[in-house]
Amino acid sequence: MSQQVTLTIDGHQVTVPAGTTVLQAAETLGIEIPHLCYHPALTPPAVCRLCVVEWEGARTLVPACVAQVRDGAVVRTHSERVLRARRTILELLHSAVDLSEAPDALAYGQALGVDPQRFADGERRHFPVYEDNPFYVRDYAKCVLCWRCVEACGDDMQFTYALSLGERGFHTHIATFFDAPMPETTCVFCGNCVGVCPTGALKSLEEHLLEQGIPPEHLSAEKRRRPPLEGNRE
Amino acid sequence: MTASADRPTWQAIPGYEAHLLRRVGQVDPTSLADYEAHGGYRALRAALEMTPAEIIEMVKASGLVGRGGAAFPTGIKWESAARQPVTPRYVVCNADESEPGTFKDRVLMEGDPFAIVEAMTIAAYAVGAEQGYIYVRGEFRAAYERLANAVAAAREAGYLGKRVLGSDFSFDIELRRGAGAYVCGEETALFESIEGKRGMPRQKPPFPTERGLFGRPTVINNVETFANVPHIVLNGPDWFRRIGPPDAPGPKLFCVSGAVERPGVYEGPMSVTLRQLVEVCGGMRPGRKIQAVLVGGAAGTFVPAEHLDTPVSFEALRAIGASLGSGAVLVVDDSVDMLEVVERITRFFAHESCGKCYPCQLGTQRQWEIVRRWQAGHHRPDDAERLQDIAHAMREASICGLGQTAASALMSVLPRMVTRFEGGNHVSASDADH
Amino acid sequence: MTPSQDEAVADILVRWQPYGRAGLLPCLIDVQNHLGWLPPDVCAQVGEVLGVPLADVYGVATFYSRLYTQPVGRRIVRVCDDVACLANGSPALLEACRTALGLAPGETSPDGLVTLEVHPCLGHCEHAPCLMVNDQVFGRLDAAAAERLARAVRAGEAPPK
Ligand SMILES: Cc1cc2nc3c(=O)[nH]c(=O)nc-3n(C[C@H](O)[C@H](O)[C@H](O)COP(=O)(O)O)c2cc1C
Ligand code: SF4
Ligand code: SF4
Ligand code: FES
Ligand code: FES
Repeated sequence: MSQQVTLTIDGHQVTVPAGTTVLQAAETLGIEIPHLCYHPALTPPAVCRLCVVEWEGARTLVPACVAQVRDGAVVRTHSERVLRARRTILELLHSAVDLSEAPDALAYGQALGVDPQRFADGERRHFPVYEDNPFYVRDYAKCVLCWRCVEACGDDMQFTYALSLGERGFHTHIATFFDAPMPETTCVFCGNCVGVCPTGALKSLEEHLLEQGIPPEHLSAEKRRRPPLEGNRE
Repeated sequence: MTASADRPTWQAIPGYEAHLLRRVGQVDPTSLADYEAHGGYRALRAALEMTPAEIIEMVKASGLVGRGGAAFPTGIKWESAARQPVTPRYVVCNADESEPGTFKDRVLMEGDPFAIVEAMTIAAYAVGAEQGYIYVRGEFRAAYERLANAVAAAREAGYLGKRVLGSDFSFDIELRRGAGAYVCGEETALFESIEGKRGMPRQKPPFPTERGLFGRPTVINNVETFANVPHIVLNGPDWFRRIGPPDAPGPKLFCVSGAVERPGVYEGPMSVTLRQLVEVCGGMRPGRKIQAVLVGGAAGTFVPAEHLDTPVSFEALRAIGASLGSGAVLVVDDSVDMLEVVERITRFFAHESCGKCYPCQLGTQRQWEIVRRWQAGHHRPDDAERLQDIAHAMREASICGLGQTAASALMSVLPRMVTRFEGGNHVSASDADH
Repeated sequence: MTPSQDEAVADILVRWQPYGRAGLLPCLIDVQNHLGWLPPDVCAQVGEVLGVPLADVYGVATFYSRLYTQPVGRRIVRVCDDVACLANGSPALLEACRTALGLAPGETSPDGLVTLEVHPCLGHCEHAPCLMVNDQVFGRLDAAAAERLARAVRAGEAPPK
């Protein structure tokens, strides 16, 4: 039997198995902690920091998606210190990325009273929409850099490693080898990346074409006009 | 290095004996024999006569804390790695020294490279490590070559390799170079870099002593931290504790730069004050007044002139909201526009953020943009509040120390910056009246 | 690549192959020291020999500011304009270099000889204001000295000591 741990979250005592994350423990109490990069099927990269909580005695806030419960811990998930950080992170995100198709991020923002225009005077991340293969499109102006696609393409699902991160800081972006079009990479078009993307940055070509107003009956003709897969390096 | 070094740019503070800098400039840094003639490798021989636990006890008793910025007790770090049941274990020397205003590690590596190699060997013996790495900042070519030469000579002479000095203990060292990323000085980013990955910090815990380089227990220390170790082994913890104030024992290197007459690395106890450090450097250049001192580099804070009599001990600085960090004491005079200085600092963080976590990836960029807009003469009434919110998010929610400190220098002068805007949309060209 | 460069690169790959992924950064540094930058075909070789996914080779190569995935000058002049150098007149140094090289920061001369960069603290602040030409540091420069230095670099001469 696994060891049990008792801690206090927002004033409520809760007993859960050791190894449980604060995010999961809070869930058992019905307390929802916002999370953007976390995905149950993937290694938590702990990059978005929306899930940060106050942990009594800790110098800084801690990310609930990876912080494991400890006996006697006292955690606050919605203190002003926490909310101020979450609000600012979302406002910063709005200022750089098109979140119009990121329902979770939008809902969190609403709940937190986020002002999407707060940092609107800053530089946005611009990218062309890559329509370079017959299966999906990549619109990185909508990408929040949650790393999910990279992980799904790599160690967590497909072991194909077509994707990585390029450059750094504000200019970090999802990259292929020298930004090559997908058909020239190791991509096998499994679609796992599209499946885990939370923002609409990756979507199937079909969905994209429908959004562009292509009538359903013209879809297959339109798809055939995309670059074929020749030259796919193995 | 062909900089016009017409006089040494390192020395002990007058009235104080040099320990860390003792051999620098005196010993031939390329010669093992000369190092031995200057007392080199006596400490390792002494250490091999002790048990690893005894050495760890000594380092703990000395009160030595890390000189890389975080001031973590070195003995406790070693003990925690030594206790791990897992092998192999690693000893890593953090020689990435990239904090603006910091150059002490470089001076040690160039001037006394064997001391670092000897100290790492002692650390490896104490924690049971067989492999070490020195990660040297890419710009430090001379330091890299001196260290490479020292490692090769030590190996040749049996100070490194299988069965060091005929004992049962084996240890060797490899060198690695950085390639232009300040964040790789952060210990877990440094591991990632050695492992062939992007130098992005890891979420802690687990801490390096538990899962560090290649996922193994690892002791990582700063160059200067290591340089203290042979002295502690030879002279004992009590000797160490007699130097400096009780809460900050041992010798310390200060990197004094900026508008002083004789910038350089100065060794002294942590009871010295900022004013004394400026005076030791021959004071300000003629006709210049101190505007502020940036203590701790870009990750530090500006200490205004009225606090110059603060000792540089960790505790005394903490009391005025500052931190010695890496030991940078950067003197800004009244001829420099503070806004320019702040622009450099915010640009630095925007340039060096690894981009992993959102608060820093986005916050460092926005912070820099706002400061640049000020330079162009435009401000918004809500700038201060927005910057404070960014600072809060970065300090509280970032993964690593880079984001956590990226706003501290700016925040320490924010009230002054804001005063400049009052009464108009224009930022005055000079802050000299302050 | 000339045949001798080809050989040099092959030697570098052989040297780092046993390290696998842990050889990636030192291998890229060595390759760049030979070729001046990291061309895609060589990066692909590096990835194949060390067993690193090509996307990750690119991710690493673009992470470090001293690694170049596009051609740069054979000589890189890096002028420090960080705080200690700023307090010692670095703007005049930068101006002198711009003028003498005829380049804005980030630009490479059309003949591929020189690149000018503005750089954060070079870690030689006791010699401020300073700059580097490739791996060599020049400190305590005034604008005139910086200009002489930059002219020599532009002319392909050995930098004056
Ligand atoms: C952004 C960042 C950069 C750092 N750079 C360095 C560095 O260049 N050298 C160093 O010794 N420590 C640096 N550190 C601190 C290290 O993470 C670590 O605390 C240190 O190497 C531990 O050694 P010490 O205990 O001997 O100080 C840096 C930390 C951060 C967050
Ligand atoms: S493309 Fe989608 S899944 Fe990939 S990092 Fe961006 S938002 Fe995340
Ligand atoms: S705080 Fe900045 S440098 Fe550190 S992990 Fe986050 S993005 Fe990277
Ligand atoms: S969900 Fe925890 S950091 Fe993103
Ligand atoms: S500020 Fe120029 S070398 Fe440090």
